[in-house]
Amino acid sequence: MGVKKRATVKKTVSFSDDNTLTNRSNKKKHVDHDNPPVYVRKTLLTVPWHIIPLLYYYIYISDGFDSLKLLFALIPLQLAYLGIQFNKSTVYGNKILKLKVPLTLISLCATLLLTLPAVLIIILFGAPVTEKWKETWMLALHCCYLAHPAIYQVFNGDFKVGLWKKYFIMIVIGAWSSCVVIPLDWDRDWQAWPVPVVVGAYLGAFFGYSFGSYF
Amino acid sequence: MDERSIKRTLLSTSADEKRLYRTRIQKFRKSHTLYVILLASLALLQFIAIAFFTRGFLLTRQVLDDVAIKTAEYGKFDKAVVLIVDALRFDFVIPVDQDHQGYSGNFHNNIDVLYESMFADQGSSLLLKFIADAPTVTLQRLKGLTTGSLPTFIDAGSNFDGSVIEEDNLIKQMYEQGKQIYFAGDDTWESLFSPFLSPRSKYYESFNVWDLDTVDNGVISYFNEHLLETANRDWDVLIGHMLGVDHVGHKYGPNHFTMREKQLQVNDFLIKIKETIDDDTLLVIMGDHGMDHTGNHGGDSKDELESTLFLYSKRPNMWGLNDPSQYNTTDLGAYYREVNQIDLVPTLSILMGLPIPFNNLGWPIEEIATSSEERDLYARIALEQLELYKKTSNMVTNPEKSTMLENAWIEAMGNPSLGAAYQRQFLEVCKDLWTRFDYWSIGTGITLLTISLVLLLAITKLIPSIVVGQMVPEFVPWIVTMSLVSNACLHGLFYVFKQPAFLEDALWCSLLATAIGICVGCCIPVLDRYNLKWIFIRFLEDLSDYWSRIGALLLTLHAISFTSNSFTIWEDKIVSFLLITLGMLTLYEFVFLPKRQSTTALLTATISEKQGTSSGVCQSTANSDSLPLTRFARLLGLYHSIVLIVCTRLASTITICREEQGEYCVPTFTNKNNYSIWCMGLCLLVVALLPSCIKGYYNLSLSYQAAAPIWIDIFLKGVLFSNFIYWTLTSLENNITGLTWNVTIFKFTIARIIAGFSLIASNIGWMMGPLCVKLNVDNTDAKSHQATILGYANAYGAQFFLLVINAIMSIMLFNKPLAQLSLYLMCNQLLSILEIIDLLKLRENIIGPFALALLAYSQFFSTGHQATIPSVQWDVGFILSETVKFPFTHLPIVLNTFGPHIIVGLSVALLTLWKQQPDVLKPQTLLGRIVSNCGSLLVYNTVLCLSSFVWVTHFRRHLMVWKIFCPRYLFASMSLIAVQLVVTFGTVAFASGRIIRQINDIFWK
Repeated sequence: MGVKKRATVKKTVSFSDDNTLTNRSNKKKHVDHDNPPVYVRKTLLTVPWHIIPLLYYYIYISDGFDSLKLLFALIPLQLAYLGIQFNKSTVYGNKILKLKVPLTLISLCATLLLTLPAVLIIILFGAPVTEKWKETWMLALHCCYLAHPAIYQVFNGDFKVGLWKKYFIMIVIGAWSSCVVIPLDWDRDWQAWPVPVVVGAYLGAFFGYSFGSYF
Repeated sequence: MDERSIKRTLLSTSADEKRLYRTRIQKFRKSHTLYVILLASLALLQFIAIAFFTRGFLLTRQVLDDVAIKTAEYGKFDKAVVLIVDALRFDFVIPVDQDHQGYSGNFHNNIDVLYESMFADQGSSLLLKFIADAPTVTLQRLKGLTTGSLPTFIDAGSNFDGSVIEEDNLIKQMYEQGKQIYFAGDDTWESLFSPFLSPRSKYYESFNVWDLDTVDNGVISYFNEHLLETANRDWDVLIGHMLGVDHVGHKYGPNHFTMREKQLQVNDFLIKIKETIDDDTLLVIMGDHGMDHTGNHGGDSKDELESTLFLYSKRPNMWGLNDPSQYNTTDLGAYYREVNQIDLVPTLSILMGLPIPFNNLGWPIEEIATSSEERDLYARIALEQLELYKKTSNMVTNPEKSTMLENAWIEAMGNPSLGAAYQRQFLEVCKDLWTRFDYWSIGTGITLLTISLVLLLAITKLIPSIVVGQMVPEFVPWIVTMSLVSNACLHGLFYVFKQPAFLEDALWCSLLATAIGICVGCCIPVLDRYNLKWIFIRFLEDLSDYWSRIGALLLTLHAISFTSNSFTIWEDKIVSFLLITLGMLTLYEFVFLPKRQSTTALLTATISEKQGTSSGVCQSTANSDSLPLTRFARLLGLYHSIVLIVCTRLASTITICREEQGEYCVPTFTNKNNYSIWCMGLCLLVVALLPSCIKGYYNLSLSYQAAAPIWIDIFLKGVLFSNFIYWTLTSLENNITGLTWNVTIFKFTIARIIAGFSLIASNIGWMMGPLCVKLNVDNTDAKSHQATILGYANAYGAQFFLLVINAIMSIMLFNKPLAQLSLYLMCNQLLSILEIIDLLKLRENIIGPFALALLAYSQFFSTGHQATIPSVQWDVGFILSETVKFPFTHLPIVLNTFGPHIIVGLSVALLTLWKQQPDVLKPQTLLGRIVSNCGSLLVYNTVLCLSSFVWVTHFRRHLMVWKIFCPRYLFASMSLIAVQLVVTFGTVAFASGRIIRQINDIFWK
């Protein structure tokens, strides 16, 4: 009997740790309720459908994986996506804000500036240093403009809101993991720098924007 | 003020405590010894596993350098034209019924000249099915076709890459007989036979599989020039090697219209050659191997093995053909008479009047003799050669087989028609010895290594180190007893029943028995306390936090890269990519500081709250021990992450490309760069930079005290400077042609001084216990008995790193200038990783050792190495001595090749010791944690080794197995051995025990 009692005591001790944790998270929810957070609604509206035809165009139609033309197609489509879809599912404390044109332009320029650190990071990850600057920059442009809706929202709200991080992260993960195909010895033209990474970034962005609101 | 007296007054306590301390240290000594024995037996288990695998996988063939001498008079032709059409499968050259299910117009019935000639002009043509031996790779086939032997990976005594064949071969014999040999085609011939071929030969690159025509057109125009369109034939032997058919196969596969075009071109060419040769010339047309339905080759499928041999002479009735039913072309020639590829060697030798190459195992083709006297003569010649080879090589050790062969030979000498039977038996015996993988040994090796991995994981990682500390006294006796018991059992079994048969002799038997004994001996104490389910659950729990998962991900990615030849080829880039990824992740961590409820971090945070604060230093902002990190610590971490990333990226630009990387890689680790002025300038910079960088890291914890300045500022700087002088002299020797004075003696002197100092003197110095702490008594009143101990917070780490410096000093000497730059970067990477791990409180996490293991691999590649045999820097072997002497030649090569692994193997203890205060953890605990981290490092290497074992076995018939997978597996095994030795005997046995005792002797409260 005595042994059993002891065992139950031990159990409560081990649960105490968990309790603090759950308490903590409960508190947090409470705090969040007082200051309504920024969040993205879980709707089909956030799915960036335009990325699929873009990828289809890039892989099957375009002549020799023309990244520049793809970029020119991407930017307006991303703006449209931001205006029609993404901004409409972003809620700022029970409100959906209208798209601000000057802010859009500012964020476009900021995105362009952001390509420079992006190029640096890509080179640090192992892109060629002395050659293929143009291709690397092109990749950076694609990655950054894919992230543009999130960048706009960063400018729109508070810089400190960590919500947008996951959109960047998904694009980075997409680009990071697509490197796998580069070393394979299949000698396909789509293995050329930076084609697979661009495709990976698009896929990452697609998943990021589609499911970013869920986690 | 006398430091010692202060120390005494500061640290004096009662005699009781002292006695307590003595017994504690004695206990520590004992358990330390037991730990070392435990680790050493695990190491032994892994060595045995590697030995078994290697025994099963690498079959050795004894190559004799003897050259055959002609003893009898024979020979029918003075001149010969030999044309090799690469990948000429047998069904390409025979008529195929269009209704046959395997028929394809693209590759059938296009080459018709051979069989038409065979059946039209009876007697002067001979078409045979030609059976190659695996591996069906051109290089190996050429060796077989010319030496008459069966090549294996390591032909003991000769090289196994594409360098000149040393052993006796057909081409060499032709050359020795004074024949002028002209060659055109595949450049493999250049590397294999260039001394024997005429300088007027032409070689074409064989590497570019996409180029279908260059080689063929080159061969055709060469033949035009020397045979078809000229009467002035100043050669005795004309050899051509065409690659078009093979390349079409690789590029498009056989069933493609390009194949038809190519075959028709070959057909036309063959017709022309056949018409133009004269009566004294023998024409030999053959394929070296076939191709499978995808057009590739290398394995041992029927399509890959079946090739073509065609002998032709203008003289009528040259060949004594057998019954026509043996030349049956129906069903893709399934019933056609076949000969072995190696049979060509004695056949050609006899026809050309050459002695049969010494190592030949083939038998002259029956049809070349037209009468029974001739047949008997040829049989005797061949028999004598085979017997001489058998006797000289002394290879048949099995008495049963030996007598069987002996009897067969005696019978055959009496009745030469039985000769072929003798040759078949002999060949069977040789094949048994050489070309069959020993799957029992391979399986044993893989199984043992897997068990050792599980044991290593369980003992060092899964079971809490405190429990292991209690279990250690049980492990050792169990291991010893079980080894003895299993030795007795297995030896008994082996002697009485000769089972298990694959062991062959007593040595292997005792190795297996010892391995089993170690496994069982380790399992008993573990399973006494835990069950397998608990261990498995614990394993999953260990992987539950973020950083462990990242570590596991990195290891998995690295290990599965051996599943593809492309990933193995590009491993250098992949490894640095992974390391940079890790750097980026830590960078992210310091910038954004995401909330992770990782249990380990919470645990260490609570422990650190209890940590004593007997010195003022550990309260400083930089060393804030509780999460979340302070702003300053985050900045510091940010800086270290950037250092790690940038250094890794910079180092990764130094590369010696491997052949397979081709045009995508520009080698920077060249002699030109190594000995250039800018490189030497950078080396001079390193002389100043390396000590000051290390000093910077020491200053972070205020440990640049006492011994540290002596070691870093005097020893390291001095050694680096003399090292710089040494390599400057080498560079001068390389760059200046007319150097008047001889610097060899001077260089040897410097090298030996550096080696002696860094390998022996400095390590003896380290054993004396160079403390890096200082009593700061300036601002305190001496009577108050209070003083600050500078460097107290990092007393362990600072002292231990001095040992790493010793290793760096010696490794620097044996690395070329660019590699020295890489090693300089490595020091920064290493210390930054240590700081990052310390800041993120990940000392107990697997990510630390895994990061270090990745660092070792990336530095292996950036110090001018690749996982290939030609990239071993043999020349550094002659830094200490002019001739090959046992330790003085081998030591530099080992230090050069495994330098990064050695440095990492030593510094893995620093994960625990860096920034570790003396009085926080008990000696036992500290040792347990060090062993745990060492275990993780070993786990990383073991997993890589195991993965390479499995994949090299899986790819044993792969085209690239001997070029890519096999060297990688050799490298994995050797680096595992190197890391094992360094970790077990260097880090745990020598360094950790010593440093823990020394520091505890001083700060023993």
